[in-house]
Amino acid sequence: MKKTLLIGLPAVVVLLLVFFGQELVDLYRLQAYLTESEEQYQANKGAWPHLTDACEACHGRNGSSLHQGYPSLAGQPEAYLATQLRNFANGDRENPNMTPLAMTMSEEEIQLYAKFFARQPAKDNRYFEADVQNRERGETLAESGGCAGCHGDRLMGQGPFPRLASQGYDYLLNQLDAFAEGERNDPTGMMNSLAAGWSPEDRKAIATYLAGLPTE
Amino acid sequence: MARKQSSDTAINTQRRKLLKFAGASAAVGGLGLSAGLARASEALSGSAPGEVLDIAIIGAGLSGLTSARDLQRAGCESFVVLEARDRVGGRTLNYDVGHGEVSDVGGQWIGPGQTAVADLARELEVDTFPSYYEGKTVMLGGDGQLAIDLEGTFGTDHALGEQLSELSRDVPSGAPWTSPRAEELDKLSVGDWLAKQDIKPEDKPGWDGSIALTGGALPAKMGLLHFLSMINSANSDYFKLDAIKDSAQGTRFVGGAQLLSIKMAEELGDKLRLSCPVRKISNWDSDVVTLHTDQGTIRTRQVIMALSPPLCQQIDFSPALPANRAALQRAWPAHSPARKTAMVYSRPFWREKGLNGHIFQVNGPIIWAYDNSPVNGEVGVINAFVSNANLPSDHNQAKRALAEIYAQAWGDAALRPVAYHDQDWGKVDPWTITCISAIPPGFWTTHGEALNPPSGNLIWSGTETADIWAGYMDGAVRSGHQSALEALNALRLRSRS
Repeated sequence: MKKTLLIGLPAVVVLLLVFFGQELVDLYRLQAYLTESEEQYQANKGAWPHLTDACEACHGRNGSSLHQGYPSLAGQPEAYLATQLRNFANGDRENPNMTPLAMTMSEEEIQLYAKFFARQPAKDNRYFEADVQNRERGETLAESGGCAGCHGDRLMGQGPFPRLASQGYDYLLNQLDAFAEGERNDPTGMMNSLAAGWSPEDRKAIATYLAGLPTE
Repeated sequence: MARKQSSDTAINTQRRKLLKFAGASAAVGGLGLSAGLARASEALSGSAPGEVLDIAIIGAGLSGLTSARDLQRAGCESFVVLEARDRVGGRTLNYDVGHGEVSDVGGQWIGPGQTAVADLARELEVDTFPSYYEGKTVMLGGDGQLAIDLEGTFGTDHALGEQLSELSRDVPSGAPWTSPRAEELDKLSVGDWLAKQDIKPEDKPGWDGSIALTGGALPAKMGLLHFLSMINSANSDYFKLDAIKDSAQGTRFVGGAQLLSIKMAEELGDKLRLSCPVRKISNWDSDVVTLHTDQGTIRTRQVIMALSPPLCQQIDFSPALPANRAALQRAWPAHSPARKTAMVYSRPFWREKGLNGHIFQVNGPIIWAYDNSPVNGEVGVINAFVSNANLPSDHNQAKRALAEIYAQAWGDAALRPVAYHDQDWGKVDPWTITCISAIPPGFWTTHGEALNPPSGNLIWSGTETADIWAGYMDGAVRSGHQSALEALNALRLRSRS
């Protein structure tokens, strides 16, 4: 993988296939992919290796997680991201994985992460298969709860309020449960009182609705 | 024939006994497991009120069980091992692939210089065999690929490996903060160092993968001082750390690495208590320490803390721990919850094509896939370290996504697996948190001094505290031996006072 790949000619795939066979075509495609990836990386992040690389195993490539339990950061409001990192570091928000990691970050680094993930395009949670009845019940509950008032139209997040649309189902449910049980707090207490007012089944329905809600 | 039957029966009896300790409830059935647990709780409720044990060991992984074994062999019987999970083995785990074979889905390899774990395996009569690497590894990126024989290496640039080896000579494995160059090196990440090495674009994914697999984080968040201390463990030879052949990924255990723990647990009887998490430790600075567990309280003179610092951090200590130890635990990195998968095929079909079943993938879910078939090679198993959030969480979606990638590399036979196991160590239970410790820049020079000294009657143990091969199974065994000695010596000193 770290051997030099001795091909860089803009050769035509068909010609390669005819004269040299599938292996060389595969190599050409690999080389083209590496070049393209390198260019995208430089344009999006800058020089390798970049600090944000360390986030992507758990939060997905460019902040879009394919896993229902690890949250997506892409397209989250910058202010929200920065606040959460500070909260992890100072203990206002507890998480055994994130607390020590956030403690390594200077304020400058926090800004860097927050800005980077805020400008990554949010993607749909395409692996989530929503139960229709639950989703409809969740939508009703979200409307009566007034979620859009803080989290914005289509629940895409704004300012200190996170994007909920297309977030991972398990993550959303965990957070709702944590708010309900007082394990996570928001400064106004709004999320705590809302979540505590919902039954465990209500919370599942709301998480279903949100996880399946497409991004704009 | 008759002889074979009788030996099969003996093996089956043995296997049932072993499975009880493995906590493989699906395989063993509800009956055996609940019988085991019932015995454990009887023992606990049967402890005489006011009884004070000599030693309590928290954690029944390789480290804690090695301590227990040493104590028992030294004639100490006044001890107990408390394990939060319903199984032993900590971060080693056997997955039953059928036909009486297993695939490791946790820690699994040993290599040159890892003599403590190798000796333990010999004593426990657990055999070893070489990892399979003969043939071509497939590099995948987008719709492109390259099959290449890496000859048992990870293809790492030799000159850079040599430079890292050279640098590591100044960084003692068990105490990197004592390096004469500690201050200078601890300011840097591995990424800072790599950025100055003029690495070609096509080599960058390889470095990302290597550092992530070995160190637990991507280069920009991996402390250079710590990474060098890991190379120092490998006798200051980068290629003894970061390769397969003659290296730290070169040798496997017949029957899986968890078998070491299972066999040690077998000897403990009621001294081992499963499903018994310790929630609070009080009076650790007094003659009698009290452990508050889900199965009641235990009073003891010494405690061997055979669990990682992030897990120690989950326990409530009263009084509060000394400031420097508390700070170390709070800052200890825990952001490497490895996700490991095992795809089972009826046979290792890739081998017939001259392929070794290994894959490196650029920008995909796979960091490294490798042939993890059992020793006889009759069943084919492909294990993979996958990037947790770059593969769907749903079992079937993940299985399909991986099988399709394997098919891209090895053809359509890969689309017909017979079983699949997906072990996300960060999600499966709260008793791991992190696989390996990706120590960041600045950590050791700030917190190193607090790693080893006991706090009152708490002896800090576990692989993270080992002199050599910290973070590895070998380090776990070393720390287990060391802590047993420390505990016995503490009791000796006390009996004289």
